[in-house]
Amino acid sequence: MPEQLWFTALLNRLFAGPVTALLRVIHIEPHHPAAPIPNSLAMEILVFILLLVLFLLLRSRLSVDSPGALQHMFEGLEGFVQDQSNEIIGHHSEGYTAFLTALLFFILFCNLIGLVPSFESPTAVVVVPLGCAICAFFYYQIQGFKHSGIGYLKHFAGPFWWLAWLMLPIEIISHLARVLSLTVRLYANMYAGDMVTLVFISLVPVALPIPFLGLHIFVSLLQTYIFVLLTTVYLQGAVAEEH
Amino acid sequence: MPADSEKRDSSDKENFWVQWARYSELALIFPAAVVVGWLVGAALDRWLHASWFYLVGIVLGIVAGFIELFRLVLRDWK
Repeated sequence: MPEQLWFTALLNRLFAGPVTALLRVIHIEPHHPAAPIPNSLAMEILVFILLLVLFLLLRSRLSVDSPGALQHMFEGLEGFVQDQSNEIIGHHSEGYTAFLTALLFFILFCNLIGLVPSFESPTAVVVVPLGCAICAFFYYQIQGFKHSGIGYLKHFAGPFWWLAWLMLPIEIISHLARVLSLTVRLYANMYAGDMVTLVFISLVPVALPIPFLGLHIFVSLLQTYIFVLLTTVYLQGAVAEEH
Repeated sequence: MPADSEKRDSSDKENFWVQWARYSELALIFPAAVVVGWLVGAALDRWLHASWFYLVGIVLGIVAGFIELFRLVLRDWK
């Protein structure tokens, strides 16, 4: 039996049967049939529930005349993403703000939830950043096709038609490398941050870990920002008018 | 005009952060392109029962890394 957080244990107690059955339908045999849900997935589900509850709460309290602190905070973050994508992509960036803001909130909450005792950051497990990077990759490719149609493929052919046979594999490798780069950056930073905090908490449990917890918050914010910023830059490359 | 200069300062600051993120990407995109090239080549080797695609993949990965580097430098140089 793997080591489980209390929330993972709760999910496994409730859903282990159906999840194992579902995995077997798609020919995947879980390592632990009695506990098929790992900590990282449980934490992702928790973040999803938290965000859902938070936004429902916010929705019920929306006010134009007297916005509350929560509304101010979320509007500020949304405005920040909007301004940034407007600066990078241009005037037609409004359509992408929803995805970028959702990505920002999900990664930020995933990074920060590790600070709560008895929880851990799901982004410190490589599959979670990989999932986010794959989502970002498919999103900007789909937007590229939506924007330019089949002409989007010209982005992969390079500047000269006679060089297309060489540029095509190079561009494909370059685009796939972005997924790896986004994944490794987020995963490595969050994993290292978790380890440093954990080591100092185990060495000196009083006072000394506080600066490292502060550092963890800073790294969480910075990595979220970089992930969203680079996704915006890739999106700009995909929907750019001229290449 | 203070408002204009303030706006320009804030825009410069944003540009700095965007530039900083782009340059920080280079540290990872270069090795990532080589690794992806190698993985794609190795997959082709396995699929086509060949033994040289991985080398082609690594070379293309290195070229892809350099192209990204040149693109970034040229974009900021213009």
